[in-house]
Amino acid sequence: MSAVMENPKGGCVLAGINSVLGAIDKVCPIYHAGPGCCMQTTAADQGQSGHKSSCFVSSVSIPSSNMLEKEVVFGGTNKLRTTIEGAIDIIDADAYFVLTGCTAGIIGDDVLSVANEYSSKGHPVYAIDTPGFAGDSNLGYEIVWNTMIDQVIEENVPKDDKLVNIFGIIPYHDPFWSGSLEEIDRILSKLGLKVNTFFTKHQNIDDIRKSSAAALNIIVNPWLFKGPAKKFEDKFGVPSLRIPGLFVGATDTSKFVREVGKTLGLESSLVESVIAEEEDYVYSYLGQAIGVVSWKRFAVVADANNAVGYTKYLANDYSFTPVLVIVSEPIFRPEDKERIINEIQNLEYAHPPKVLFLTDQYEINKAIREEEEEITLLVGSSNEREISLEKDIQFILGAFPTNERLIFNRTYAGYRGSLTFTEDIYDNN
Amino acid sequence: MANVQYSGVRESKPNRYNDLGTTGVEVEENFKKGCLKRADRSFAQGLQCQQINSMAALMSLEDSVFISHSPQGCVGCAIMAVDMYRVGQIHRGNSIIKNPRLIVSNIDQKNVVFGGEPKLREAVTKAVERYNPKLAFIYASCASGIIGDDIDAIAADLQTEFPDTVMVPIHCEGFKSKICASGFDAAFISINKYILKKQKISKQDNLVNLFAPTTVSYADQREMERMLGLLGAEVNYIPFYSSLEKIKKIPAAIASTSICKVFADEFMKTLWEEYEIPYSHTVMPIGIRNTDKWYRGIAKVLGKEKEVEEIIAREHERIEPLVAKIKERLQGKRVFICGGTGRSFAAAALIDDFGMKLVGIETPTYDADAQVDIEYLNNIHKDYVVDIANMQPFEQVNLINKLRPDAFIGVPEWAAKLGIPTTHVLDGKRPTMGYDGLLYLGNKIADQLENPGFNKKIAKHVKLPYKSSWYDEDAFKYITEGGN
Repeated sequence: MSAVMENPKGGCVLAGINSVLGAIDKVCPIYHAGPGCCMQTTAADQGQSGHKSSCFVSSVSIPSSNMLEKEVVFGGTNKLRTTIEGAIDIIDADAYFVLTGCTAGIIGDDVLSVANEYSSKGHPVYAIDTPGFAGDSNLGYEIVWNTMIDQVIEENVPKDDKLVNIFGIIPYHDPFWSGSLEEIDRILSKLGLKVNTFFTKHQNIDDIRKSSAAALNIIVNPWLFKGPAKKFEDKFGVPSLRIPGLFVGATDTSKFVREVGKTLGLESSLVESVIAEEEDYVYSYLGQAIGVVSWKRFAVVADANNAVGYTKYLANDYSFTPVLVIVSEPIFRPEDKERIINEIQNLEYAHPPKVLFLTDQYEINKAIREEEEEITLLVGSSNEREISLEKDIQFILGAFPTNERLIFNRTYAGYRGSLTFTEDIYDNN
Repeated sequence: MANVQYSGVRESKPNRYNDLGTTGVEVEENFKKGCLKRADRSFAQGLQCQQINSMAALMSLEDSVFISHSPQGCVGCAIMAVDMYRVGQIHRGNSIIKNPRLIVSNIDQKNVVFGGEPKLREAVTKAVERYNPKLAFIYASCASGIIGDDIDAIAADLQTEFPDTVMVPIHCEGFKSKICASGFDAAFISINKYILKKQKISKQDNLVNLFAPTTVSYADQREMERMLGLLGAEVNYIPFYSSLEKIKKIPAAIASTSICKVFADEFMKTLWEEYEIPYSHTVMPIGIRNTDKWYRGIAKVLGKEKEVEEIIAREHERIEPLVAKIKERLQGKRVFICGGTGRSFAAAALIDDFGMKLVGIETPTYDADAQVDIEYLNNIHKDYVVDIANMQPFEQVNLINKLRPDAFIGVPEWAAKLGIPTTHVLDGKRPTMGYDGLLYLGNKIADQLENPGFNKKIAKHVKLPYKSSWYDEDAFKYITEGGN
């Protein structure tokens, strides 16, 4: 299913799996893979997402069987066993996940049985038998959650009607994941909710085990997590609310807050007072810099989630003119594409921009180069800097891969993030 | 001379070891006696695969496309070379910063079963049609190697279809070697086979090949060029930031040298055997002793022994007062070093310039070349640990925690979490090398080691992932006999 691609944005499925596991506190991946896979997969996502990487183990600190010719020919399960034993002996993890590289996948090593040898002795060792070539980072996110639903999350956990789970933002594959989750957490906490982001505030495998207690799964993404959401609901009875795109700015964030409030049956006076307070915070700042940022005709190149968020904020809340939006991650289901197009084109006052789905850098550059309408602002990834320099367009680094800046808790999402976004758009030329 | 063609796999050479825990004195003796054995680690952390090095070595070449016949993940590390390429363009004053043209064939489940040939053809065809490049490098991967896709045959076939682009397949399958530097050799073997083709061209009487990997900053390039220029040489700087034309000029040179010990060392041998180009293979030019040694090495090949001594004397006059000042600040500090083959030994010599004391060194490979360095180090430092390891941070932190050095030179990530002051001799964006580089590097090292507040504070808040029991164990517990 994977296509030939120039300058791909992100890694293989193993990279996605590693990104997600790396963001959970004290979880240790164990690679049954070739000698470079730990480094390659970490570099593919964590290394291109604002330069922060998992503090626990990442890249060359991840245990690995480093399969060489001998293992390719004779099988590598013995090497995997000693690798798992070493990891259990020396790494102070709450859970270990055995992952499969292409080599192990092609020669057919049975990682599930090997992992089972250890889990049956009481060690928290799980296996994910999805080799690198099976897909991309996005798939890795869903694979991890399918594994959690199948093997980790507990049934019969007492329900907590204030607990919500957040899905749809991929750690280390979205450069702003940390800040975005913190902003969502901040807003929902004001509604009196307890929020499982799973990847911030040192949430760990136990938070995942007990996540079936939640009253609602909130999916902040226009297409991701369809399969796991259904599986989660079927097995644990937790329904889902899909927010079809990241919310940037007061309009969409307030819409999000209202939808969550309505779905959970929260007191509407509480919901409205939170919204009023947050909108006042945003507009008190915007009111201090009216006319300071010059008007732009903009293009966006980003994953679907951020593309929706940026376009709607800039068009609806900031009265810029949308010209072209390129969704630069592979999206396969036609209904997903339709939903994304609808989100991007259904604007309040502005004329809808052109929407393209392109993952290949040459085609992305070509679309921008050949766009007949003038573009004066481009929000994109480090890969789009070249075309912006070529066309002399103002460039904002707002999508994965992000290489030219360090990102800790920065985000463009929510109420507060939209102010940061607006600050960055300021252009003194 | 054996007729067997070198495969590019560094392990294929005798007396080369990747897994060993020892001391300086012990390893020198055991190597001499032929007592070292190939080993393995029953538990290990991730390595750098050779494909990463094959790609990084070439990704700044002009008018080139890079096709990775692999799943999407195998181009992850390309970002390091991409970043160096982008920053390098800024340093060289370019206004439009280009991306390298990197295309992945994206081997998937179907290709694993039915073969990936059609997608490789599609990838190469797209690359050629889009960019009309002079060079198309085709990289193998673990997956393409195991499923048996014949990249050589496909490249040969596409060569007839696209005669204006030189097709260069590179056999850098990750599973073939534990030593990532093998990837450099794989790249040069293909450059020789598909571009140079053993054809001799007329000599240019002052041309010197200077082989440079991606990790060399533009400041360092200029310093190396300045130094060779003082010897009257014109530098053919390759392959970092070069072109097909510059590669084709390689056989016209009268001498070769390299900035890195494990970069083009095998290729320079080949250039001597097949093109009669003499070469100098010494050390990385970091620190006074090593810069002198590197400089004298190439000067000797050029017959400029007398001239180089005059220049070295002048440079010393300029540099020594600074080194003396830095020595005052660093004298007696106990140091642990971790780095690649070239950098680790270069750093070990550098600390001697500053009067520091070696307590441990971690380096990926031990061989006859390393033995030369160890013999030199054993004359200065009496008691230090040697860990032959490609990173393996679990061993590193175990050793550092026991040795508690005053300074760590290398990737700071893990030593910092133990509160040890850290610094590095690797910076692909700023000066490190030659006499000019030392001015910057020396001050950096002294300043960083004098002001370790960040590491001391972060160590109180951020824990390494290891159980406390690990620190009491033998660091080399998992090194076992019977490696391949």
